[in-house]
Amino acid sequence: MELIKEHPILEYKHGKEVVFTLDGKELKGYAGEPIAMALHANGVHIYRITPEMKRPRGFFCAIGKCSSCFMVVDGVPNVRTCVTPLEAGMKVETQHGKGLVPLEAQ
Amino acid sequence: MTVKTTDFIIVGGGVHGCATAYELAKAGYKVTLFESRYLSSGGSGRSAAGLRQHFGTEVNLHMAKYNLKVFPTLEEELDTGMDLEFRQWGYMWVAYTDSCLDQLKKNVALQKSMDIPSVIFTPDEIHERWPYLRLDGIIGAAFCGEDGHINPQTLTMAYGEAAARYGAVVKTYTPVQKLLAENGKIKGVVTESGEEWHAPRVLLAAGPHTRPLAATVGVDIPVYPERHNILISEPVEVFNCPMVLCLDDGAYFKQCPNGTFMFGRDDQDEPRDLGNEGNSVKFLAGVTASVLKRIPALSGVRVVRQWSGPYDVTEDHNAIIDWTPLEGLMVNCGWSGHGLQFGPSGGRVCKEMLVGEQAFVDLHRFRLARFAEGDLFFEPAFI
Repeated sequence: MELIKEHPILEYKHGKEVVFTLDGKELKGYAGEPIAMALHANGVHIYRITPEMKRPRGFFCAIGKCSSCFMVVDGVPNVRTCVTPLEAGMKVETQHGKGLVPLEAQ
Repeated sequence: MTVKTTDFIIVGGGVHGCATAYELAKAGYKVTLFESRYLSSGGSGRSAAGLRQHFGTEVNLHMAKYNLKVFPTLEEELDTGMDLEFRQWGYMWVAYTDSCLDQLKKNVALQKSMDIPSVIFTPDEIHERWPYLRLDGIIGAAFCGEDGHINPQTLTMAYGEAAARYGAVVKTYTPVQKLLAENGKIKGVVTESGEEWHAPRVLLAAGPHTRPLAATVGVDIPVYPERHNILISEPVEVFNCPMVLCLDDGAYFKQCPNGTFMFGRDDQDEPRDLGNEGNSVKFLAGVTASVLKRIPALSGVRVVRQWSGPYDVTEDHNAIIDWTPLEGLMVNCGWSGHGLQFGPSGGRVCKEMLVGEQAFVDLHRFRLARFAEGDLFFEPAFI
């Protein structure tokens, strides 16, 4: 994981290390930190593919405004991963297009 | 002050006004349309714009059938470059009580007799076709696969733009202050900016504003405003979800061609006065709870915005399309929430009546005098 270990001014601590999946592959991150932060630390830069032009998009505004970091999280499309805290066992998926909602009978 | 003259004046830049202007201009008549704000700014543009052939009265069904005949080629006909977003993903009326299902069956029988391909579905058939719908407690539904969706704003604007191309004068941001009458006949209109326009025939198609406008020449049109709310979600991949209307609490939802979802629901506590265009937090809470219960797949989808619009309601939930007692003054209003989709047929019958032709459907049931005569004409399929 590529995370800043020491900061010249700020002091901070990570939460509990947890396991989550990206497109089925297990990755590690810290609970409570943004999903996008955990992905970035794992070297993941493509979060979704745009609906019209099929272009890759990733981390951009980091404050939940720009729509660049939308992913499918636990079956919910368009989750702003830059402002959504990571939890143990989260199922994170690259979003293709607008994102499908789970249509199987529930 | 110069007085301008024309053959026909239309007050109201909603879908009925614009469609009538289009029909008149296309037929070569001189017509001027007045709209207080922009085209589609009132009830038309704010509507959920469901298209359906589920009605329970012959005259509405005749007109609804005509609408659905026009819509598939309308974008090409109006030729404005605007996408009308016409889709036929179907429209379903879901019954939760026996009496409700009985009425749906009666409506469907009438529809079938008029060659409308409606069907009654059992709960199992619904589950098989749309497994993502969770309609606990339903006992059946009426469905028509030809029905669907259109964009209410581009529909209205395209009619207006096509009318202008044929020579109609379309005056937006030009509120009409009052009508003018002389010797028991309509004479014209005066705008708030002081323009005076004269015409021997005036059509009021101003939704709930029709009443105060008609009152300026002493004509009473019994139509009332009633605020209704809608919300729209962010887009998700399109899965052709039909319009689903739940007859227990009046909640409905449907997917639009860009993937967004529209939710709506009745609320008896909504204001019933003009000029109240805000919207309610109570609606947001109520409609999301009601709709997500029935389509849990949307549970994590976010709401983008909500808005409201005025229905123009009559006592029997049917339109008024008629000449008024004041010679030369005609009204087309009172659609009570199902008017947007009647743009094509409404425009056609109004043009026919205004130029003195026989309307293509018998509009006797939509006459203005029915209220005074106590001969109300109830539409069993209204929302």
